[in-house]
Amino acid sequence: MSHNYVAPVGVEGIYIIKTGKWRTQHPVLVEDKCVKCGKCFMFCPVGAIKRENDRYRIDLEYCKGCGICSHECPTKAIKMVGEEGK
Amino acid sequence: MNVLDVLDQPDVISPGISACIGCNVELTLRTVMKVLGKNSVLAIPPGCMGGVGVVGWDKKSGAEIPVFFPLLTNTASMLTGLRLAYKRQGRGDIHVVAFAGDGASVDAGFQALSGAAERNDRIIYICYDNEGYMNTGYQRSGSTPKGAWTSTTPYGKLQIKKDMPRIMADHRIPYVSTCSPAYMRDLVEKVEKAKRNEAGFSYLHILNPCVSGWGFPPEESIEIARLSVKTRYFPLYEVVNGKYRITVDVPHSLPVSDYVSRLKKFSRISEPALAEMQELIDQQWQELKALEKVGVKPCSSA
Amino acid sequence: MSHVEVMTGNRAASTAACLARPEVIAAYPITPQSSVVEDISKAIAVGKLDALISEVESEHSAMSVLEGATLGGVRTFSATSSQGLAFMYEPYFRASTLRLPIVMAIANREMISPQTLWASAQDSLSVRDAGWIQYYVENNQEILDTILQAFRVAEDKRVLLPINICYDGFYLSHMSERVDVPDQSEVDAFLPQCYKPEHIYLDPDRPMAVDPLTNGDLLMEYRQKHLEAQQRALTVIEEVSENFCNLFGRHWDGCVEAYKINYNTKGAIITLGSMTGAAREAIDRLQSEGLSIGLIKIRVVRPFPKTELRELLSGIKAVGVVDRNVCFGWNTGIIYQEVLAAISSSPSIIHQPFIAGLGGEDITIEMFETAARQVVALAQKKDGPRDQETIWLRSVSEEVDE
Repeated sequence: MSHNYVAPVGVEGIYIIKTGKWRTQHPVLVEDKCVKCGKCFMFCPVGAIKRENDRYRIDLEYCKGCGICSHECPTKAIKMVGEEGK
Repeated sequence: MNVLDVLDQPDVISPGISACIGCNVELTLRTVMKVLGKNSVLAIPPGCMGGVGVVGWDKKSGAEIPVFFPLLTNTASMLTGLRLAYKRQGRGDIHVVAFAGDGASVDAGFQALSGAAERNDRIIYICYDNEGYMNTGYQRSGSTPKGAWTSTTPYGKLQIKKDMPRIMADHRIPYVSTCSPAYMRDLVEKVEKAKRNEAGFSYLHILNPCVSGWGFPPEESIEIARLSVKTRYFPLYEVVNGKYRITVDVPHSLPVSDYVSRLKKFSRISEPALAEMQELIDQQWQELKALEKVGVKPCSSA
Repeated sequence: MSHVEVMTGNRAASTAACLARPEVIAAYPITPQSSVVEDISKAIAVGKLDALISEVESEHSAMSVLEGATLGGVRTFSATSSQGLAFMYEPYFRASTLRLPIVMAIANREMISPQTLWASAQDSLSVRDAGWIQYYVENNQEILDTILQAFRVAEDKRVLLPINICYDGFYLSHMSERVDVPDQSEVDAFLPQCYKPEHIYLDPDRPMAVDPLTNGDLLMEYRQKHLEAQQRALTVIEEVSENFCNLFGRHWDGCVEAYKINYNTKGAIITLGSMTGAAREAIDRLQSEGLSIGLIKIRVVRPFPKTELRELLSGIKAVGVVDRNVCFGWNTGIIYQEVLAAISSSPSIIHQPFIAGLGGEDITIEMFETAARQVVALAQKKDGPRDQETIWLRSVSEEVDE
């Protein structure tokens, strides 16, 4: 389409805020306590928990450090650790 | 249905939106759109999700699917128009979706919503209910419960919460349900039912406890939502072609004080007000149980 | 081949709307527009018009449905009046700023209060600065012709703006006149087959965000483009008027019509809408007495045709503007203020505001004669103020003998 933007449209990519910079703590997964229930993956509001072949991996890029994953984990396999310098 | 498989689908919402830390509305939106998929158009009226960047900023979009700002007052009507255009073009497969706060649904946008439901226009209307106008500074809405602090009811709201799901069910649209982010399987199943509803209007009402506006720690976001269900404060049910069914039964309810005591917004609630709240919850539960027993011939205005 | 019918203004509006092949219609009934909605509903029900109509619960929703449909990529149409227009103001402003080429007829009606149902231009003139193009028409033929022209102008890539066609309630909406109705194939040759947006749409195959939050500087850019589009519309309106005349044989003079004005004419009366008919009579009578007075009918108020108007008034000594509306705050009518702004660079012209016909009152030929004689007198003055006190043209109230 012609992009002389006579009307207000968002066509130049996705607007992304670096929310990973907000956090004052971040989750750390203790693998041997994980029972792969998937609750952390299910409840992470930003989608920081990735699912790969029944295993779960935390991607901190957009993690705001809310602590929901840690709080909901039934086996306390996720602990929240303070950010350095915050 | 493996809910984890469903949730493993692409997330079309921008990964970086400025929702509050621990916001379960953000969680709900991402989840809902995973279920509905890319062949969708999303209406986000002014409110939390619009404010945090889901529609975008300047020349950038906040989602990989078409997304737009209706006015606070006309989400359902704009979607009616969109649905009619797609009907003309033979594109009835496109999902026409509203993700609207309680302000846009229960108050200012109610006329449009009720009109679209009465016409049974085929749209999927999801109301995320954080019980107030949270994005603009926690002002009260028709969905704020009695006794709750808001910035415009500093000594507690005097009136009871408007029962939107029942009101929408009384429009006799094909599908109405209540959902909670704490009950993901139930929520996903309900969104899938809305997705499959070709007979007309689908209304989903989701209770989303608000970290900032209600006053609780962010990590308890899902736990508070769970308590709202376990105390029967927010029953999870659906109404399919007029037939009521409680989908998450609560045979032995926790007292509502277990929920209220966790929320700063109720810190001033008096004993009599709390008792009244418990009575109302009990009353509404009895009504739902009775409605479940009523046999229904499906209404059709398809 | 076209055929002749006797029809009301509302019927002319609905006939034109059907011929233009809109695909989605949404309208809410309001006196004096209601039969437009009824006609269109019937046309769809009997299969005369292949379109979908949404039976909306209010005018606010009517405009909102049309915006949604236009974003979906179809041609749309509506009609309303006074209170309905006021109620839809919230989405109305957005139709133009989202550059959606919606066409909407307005059966002009006074704004409440006092409680009223009858004609004045107060409703549409009160919203003249919401970015829409506005035509004001004189008779039922012009209603039909202008609605057809409006779809062409609105969807033109140089314009892409919504358009109102305003016509006086009851005087035109409910009055029957002879109207030449073109046939469908003639209209199909005049209008593009359908609306295909390239600038703003909601389509999962071509995703975009529509109306993200926008910073001030970018907003200024959009506004500037909008203002420029209105200016380009002046040319497009004339072009389309010409083209229409070539195909259908009727010319409505684009934005401004001069009636019996020549380089010697000293005075002019300016009118809007159906009152023009009576004004023409009055001018004829006065000219036959040898008085130097002509008539200017303003057909397009937005964009305001200031250059054309200035040219027409360049030899004129005194101008009177008859407003069927009020401009609160200036103690005159609104079109008077618009004309004043246009002729601000002509310091010598004397300008006389008239207010008449509010609440549906008849503006009689005699009232126009009075107004015209006043303007003739002013044109003969050698000096004195350019500004004049507003003259209210009202019927003489009669004492009733008990």
